[in-house]
Amino acid sequence: MASSSSTPLHIVDQDNDEFDWEAAVREIDVACAQTTTSSTNYCANNGSNHVINGKIPTYTSSNPRIQETHKKSVPNQSNFAYFASSSRQLTLDRFIGIVPRNSNGHQREKHCNGFLKNKNNNFNSNCQINVGNSGEGQKGQAEDEEENVGFVKIDPEAAKTWIYPVNIPLRDYQLNITRTALFSNTLVALPTGLGKTLIAAVVMYNYFRWFPEGKIVFAAPSRPLVLQQIEACHNVVGIPQEWTIDLTGQTSPTRRADHWRSKRVFFVTPQVLEKDIYSGSCLVKHLVCLVVDEAHRATGNYSYCVAVRELMAVPVQLRVLALTATPGSKQQTIQHVIDNLQISRLEYRSESDPDVIPYVHDRKIELIEVAMGNDAVEINNLILEVIRPYVARLSAIGVLKNRDCQTLSPCDLLNSRDKFREAPPENLPHIKYGEVEGYFGVLITLYHIRKLLSSHGIKPAFEMLAEKLQQGSFARFMSRNEVLLKAKLLMQQSISHGAPSPKLSKLLEVLVDHFKMKDPLESRVIIFSNFRGSVRDIMNALKDIGEFVKATEFVGQTSGKALKGQSQKVQQAVLQKFRAGGYNVIVATSIGEEGLDIMEVDLVICFDANISPLRMIQRMGRTGRKHEGRVVVLACEGSELKGYMRKQANSKAIKKHMRNGGANSFQFHSSPRMIPHVFKPEVQFVELSIEQFVPRVKKVNDDDQPIQSPAYKAKLTDAENDLLSKYFSTTRENTWKPSLIAFPHFQAFPSRVHKVLHSFRTGILIDAMQCLQGLPFSTCSTAVKVEDSASPEPCSASEALVQCNGKIKETSTSGDFPIEDCIREVSLASLEPKEDLRTREDSYALGSQGSQCKNLVHSFLFSSGLISVDDLGTVQVLSVSQFPVKEVLLSKIMTTGRAAPFYHLKQNIACIDASTDVCEERVGNAKDDSMSQIRSSQDDKDCAFKLNSCNASGEKTLGEIILETPIPKPMSDGGESINNSPEDRAPMLFAAEANDDPMDVEFSPRLTNFMESGIVPESPISSSGMPEIQRDDIMVPDLVSTPMVHAQSVVKYLGQNEINVTSSLTNDISAKQMKNSTPASKFRTPTVDECRSPFIKSPDIGFSKDWQLNPGGNSHGVKQRRKFKRLRKHGDLCRVKPQDCKEQTSGPTRNFTSSSVGADDGQNHHHRGAKFISNRAKLFVEDEAEVSLEVMVSSDEEDEQEDNSYEDSFIDDRINPTAKSTQAEESGIDMMAVYRRSLLSQSPLVGVANFSEDFTPSSDVPRNERASTSGSESHLVQKPENGLESTARNSASLHFNLDRVSSDALLSRITTSPKEQKSKMENRKRKLFCKSGFLPVHNLEKEFFIGSVASGHDSMLHEQTDKIQENSKTFLDNDITENRNIFDDDQFYNAIDLDAIEEQAAKLIGFKTDYSKQNQVPIAEPVPVNPSLLGSPSFDLGI
Amino acid sequence: METSFDSDLIGEIFKRIWRRRAAERERNEVTEAPDTEVGVGTPKKSRPTLANAKALKLSSELLRLFVTEAVQRAAMIAEAEGASTIEATHLERILPQLLLDF
Repeated sequence: MASSSSTPLHIVDQDNDEFDWEAAVREIDVACAQTTTSSTNYCANNGSNHVINGKIPTYTSSNPRIQETHKKSVPNQSNFAYFASSSRQLTLDRFIGIVPRNSNGHQREKHCNGFLKNKNNNFNSNCQINVGNSGEGQKGQAEDEEENVGFVKIDPEAAKTWIYPVNIPLRDYQLNITRTALFSNTLVALPTGLGKTLIAAVVMYNYFRWFPEGKIVFAAPSRPLVLQQIEACHNVVGIPQEWTIDLTGQTSPTRRADHWRSKRVFFVTPQVLEKDIYSGSCLVKHLVCLVVDEAHRATGNYSYCVAVRELMAVPVQLRVLALTATPGSKQQTIQHVIDNLQISRLEYRSESDPDVIPYVHDRKIELIEVAMGNDAVEINNLILEVIRPYVARLSAIGVLKNRDCQTLSPCDLLNSRDKFREAPPENLPHIKYGEVEGYFGVLITLYHIRKLLSSHGIKPAFEMLAEKLQQGSFARFMSRNEVLLKAKLLMQQSISHGAPSPKLSKLLEVLVDHFKMKDPLESRVIIFSNFRGSVRDIMNALKDIGEFVKATEFVGQTSGKALKGQSQKVQQAVLQKFRAGGYNVIVATSIGEEGLDIMEVDLVICFDANISPLRMIQRMGRTGRKHEGRVVVLACEGSELKGYMRKQANSKAIKKHMRNGGANSFQFHSSPRMIPHVFKPEVQFVELSIEQFVPRVKKVNDDDQPIQSPAYKAKLTDAENDLLSKYFSTTRENTWKPSLIAFPHFQAFPSRVHKVLHSFRTGILIDAMQCLQGLPFSTCSTAVKVEDSASPEPCSASEALVQCNGKIKETSTSGDFPIEDCIREVSLASLEPKEDLRTREDSYALGSQGSQCKNLVHSFLFSSGLISVDDLGTVQVLSVSQFPVKEVLLSKIMTTGRAAPFYHLKQNIACIDASTDVCEERVGNAKDDSMSQIRSSQDDKDCAFKLNSCNASGEKTLGEIILETPIPKPMSDGGESINNSPEDRAPMLFAAEANDDPMDVEFSPRLTNFMESGIVPESPISSSGMPEIQRDDIMVPDLVSTPMVHAQSVVKYLGQNEINVTSSLTNDISAKQMKNSTPASKFRTPTVDECRSPFIKSPDIGFSKDWQLNPGGNSHGVKQRRKFKRLRKHGDLCRVKPQDCKEQTSGPTRNFTSSSVGADDGQNHHHRGAKFISNRAKLFVEDEAEVSLEVMVSSDEEDEQEDNSYEDSFIDDRINPTAKSTQAEESGIDMMAVYRRSLLSQSPLVGVANFSEDFTPSSDVPRNERASTSGSESHLVQKPENGLESTARNSASLHFNLDRVSSDALLSRITTSPKEQKSKMENRKRKLFCKSGFLPVHNLEKEFFIGSVASGHDSMLHEQTDKIQENSKTFLDNDITENRNIFDDDQFYNAIDLDAIEEQAAKLIGFKTDYSKQNQVPIAEPVPVNPSLLGSPSFDLGI
Repeated sequence: METSFDSDLIGEIFKRIWRRRAAERERNEVTEAPDTEVGVGTPKKSRPTLANAKALKLSSELLRLFVTEAVQRAAMIAEAEGASTIEATHLERILPQLLLDF
């Protein structure tokens, strides 16, 4: 370590020496031939070991303390000393004529202790010899001793001259002061802007030269100043930057220690200096020069004083140069500074001094008196009134001498208080002390407020007062003082008037005038204010006065309560921008006063005048530096003005003291000359070449790094280096970059592998490439294609086949990799319908295909064989013409999907999926998922058929997928049962929409397939495309909501097996309902959908909002998807309580059951109603079987189902801007409120009334709300009594209300033709649902629907009915949730999910039923005129 | 087990890239700095990225596997084409899948 650090040091040292040498050589003796080639001696430097070694011992012997530090501090220290000495030694050697040899100093150093004395002698003799040789002769031994104490060696050559740079025009006063400062400790008091820094820099530079190993410290009180001075000094004399360093508190102590060792010129903050002196990391013995900037701070225990005291105590021989513009406002304080800094000379110049005058720019100082303003005067008087009694009391006690409360100042009070504390009046009882103290406190505060009032305006004063009244003793004394409160009130009033304080307006006036005369781009203004509060006020005022003022604030770092401070970074940025012109006005507190070198400030405005003259001078010093400037002092007439005048007078008196070097007034300290008198340095004017100052940033590091040759280079052979240079040459154009697209054909087949097998992604790539290149696929794929082609044809696929497919699907999900699972699921979902189609077409073919697929998949998955992949890809391509991934998934599914054992796998996968969900995929998949869910639900159903017990577990395992599926299932089931031609068409539309979205693109092929195959042909109903479209639109919002619901429900299910069972049961129920194809089931779904939204709203507003948004538009869909993810995660975590889930699930199931009861199949429904889940499951299975049978009968229906499921997915993806937006706008919020209200307050009777209201197209939302609320209440009451059915009815009524609201929205929509149609469609659906829920009602509703088709009013009615149903569902959910008081999101979602499922199914069914019913029973028109009447009957029927 | 790459070498390569990245980032920041007042000063994060010994070892092994696999696959291609040396084109053929495999 030592060696490494020493080498660079040494190099640098050489340079310096060279420089010194050259300078010296010029002066002295050209005859010395060696001198010019001093560089050659460098290596020799090392060689002068004995001398060097001798030195170190001398140090140690002379000063044990130093020795300690040496030992403590890093090994480098000794090295450094040695090197430093070596350079000096070199000069000596040269004179002595010794030719040093290269040898290792370190080693000798270790041994040196033993030779201490000898070497010491040697060293001394060397010195003497040196002196003698140099011919300077008479050097006193005493001085030499001193130097030894200081132990920093002089470079005698350099010491013959001192250099004064003439890069900058020479100023006599600077030269003179510098000359003084070089040889004695000097306090330089120069007005600002006259080049104190130059003096300091020159002095530093010369000491730098004279003492090649000496260390020079420049201390400045703040970090910005430090950074500024390091640059300024560099620009004056150009001390090489490798020797300079800025050390501030930001540098870590250890690094500082390093720097102290390795550098020579330090720009530090006094605190750092103090600390490092204490810690010993600052090598005090090497210090030769200390420059103290802003020396007027060196009072008391400021770090300057401590540091100097410490240095003097060592003792260290060093030169102190103190710089200030304002040594002090009193003779005393100046004397303190002089004492503290051991100053022996005072160099003072004022602007009026003859040698300074030419360089002082004209600086006009204007004092502007500002009237206080009436308000302020009044308040002032009030405060005085408050003050008076206290002052009188204190005076009476004799504590306060001055009885005039007008002229008292906080300062006087403080002094008096101190006096009182020191020597309380004898006649005063002790008990009174506290009282007196309190009075003092109050008075000080009041006077302070008064001062604020006069100098800064009412606002700061008011803030101060308000703050003080909040707490503390002041509040105790004053909170009941009426006069003060009156003053406060007055302040408040005048503030509320908004009238700016007179000072502020004057300030603006001055500013505007200034910028009229000067170019706002060129001119710079600084406004000083003592308080941050007024800084803020000024900033606010400046905002309004126009473009030309670009103002910013400049305040300290401390953050107060109200105002945030600026970090130093920000401060620097502000200054930089100010210099660059980004700002032209700075509003600063006192931190802007000192030292900051802000050039080109034309105008300084002092917002408060009553400050110390010292600070006033500093403030004024900000201007008039480069050219003339102007200072405006704003003083409020009265106390502030008086104070200002007094202080100005003071400062003038001080100036007198400082005349003539202050010889008469101050006591100075003797300071020994640092340069022995033997040397009589002559001034030498040199034009220094100064390198560009490089701010010490990371760039320095960057420069360093290339220098270090990386370790590996040593290990490389030449050939390797050549290779490196070839491929990593600086000219990167030549480097070869492999192309990834050069051989596309190779990417269509898996390349042979060595050890690393192909990844799944590679498989995808290969599949994609195959697709792109249209390569022929395997037989399997062709078969699939055949199947697809066949699919359009109506086929009655066997249930078993379907079941098999479902199983396969399930298993497939389990088998895949977690990440891929999502995709696979999606793909599976998409594929499944196709598969189903295929299966339907040819069960045998399907079976064979499935087996093939399985085989293929297995091979692919496990063996990762390319061939298998190819097969898979081909299969996929054939089937879906989708992405290979999907195909793979399908294949996998096929393979895995055989039996129950796979279920566990599936569960795992599901979990993984949830955790690893790719957001995009999910978003995209959301639709897919719904699709897949539907399919999976179908599968589940099938499974249930086969194995009831297995179903539960399977469902559980399936988790999300299965759970989600229930909703889509109903949709599909409904479609199947009802033979929804319009629905089929809708998917087509959806597909088209989906195509627009990139995500949808994947699905689009499927859709197209469906379109081609089953859907289009299937749509037997020739109902116009318009209704379909409408339906689609309507469906979309619901669907969107449904995925969310599904997810939630899934999560819950996942949470616990029991829950899963329940969910499965519910799913089954829903499926049964759907399968039953009873209108009731359909109806149920719509109601559920509606219910969902209200539920959500009621439990959690946040959720409700989301729900509201959902109907609104696309964005809603996205949000839902996100929730979906979240929900899944929840499910993984099993956060949802099983009980809750069960309850919720049971709730919806009950609803379903009730609805089912209402529906055609009474038996099935009853079974469902049975509390036992297992029973339900069985029932479901049965129902499903029935449904499936029914469905199976008509292949078209099946196709439709598939289509429906697709539609759902598409719907999710899709965004129907018109319908959603309208809903969101009109119905969204109102609906929410209504729902909530209805949920909270449920009145059974209202339902009828609600109906009437609903029937009226213009029915207001509030009415609906009322009705809903009433209805809900009644429902609640009824529920316990009537049982499931009644509850359903109640909920229905509630839903009615909700529906009404929505219907209203719909009505409004209706005005717009497309929207209207959609709404109508929705209404119809809802109506249909209602009908399903209650058969009689349904009939009526159907009739109504028919009517609505004719007229929008009718549709409204239908909607209402639908809503009622929904409400009933919601009611159930709500009841459950409310009863348990657990409003978990998941629960809600579950409810919602069910609802959504129901809705979807109901909608689908409803459409179909509507059409069918309309066709069949064109009865209902009775109510278009009287909506209320219609509503009432329907409601009655329902009840 | 085969000897892996010299982790020092890998470390140096990493550092080189990190440094370049950091420089680019700094450059970007500098361009953005004028807009933000706070942009002045020395960012603390410019500390160079480091990797500890184990990470380097692991990286070395991964890189070794990558390189061997690349070479072997390219060699297979070359062999299939009857070439005795691996050309860049051989590498290009296996590169897409190779990259996806890692």
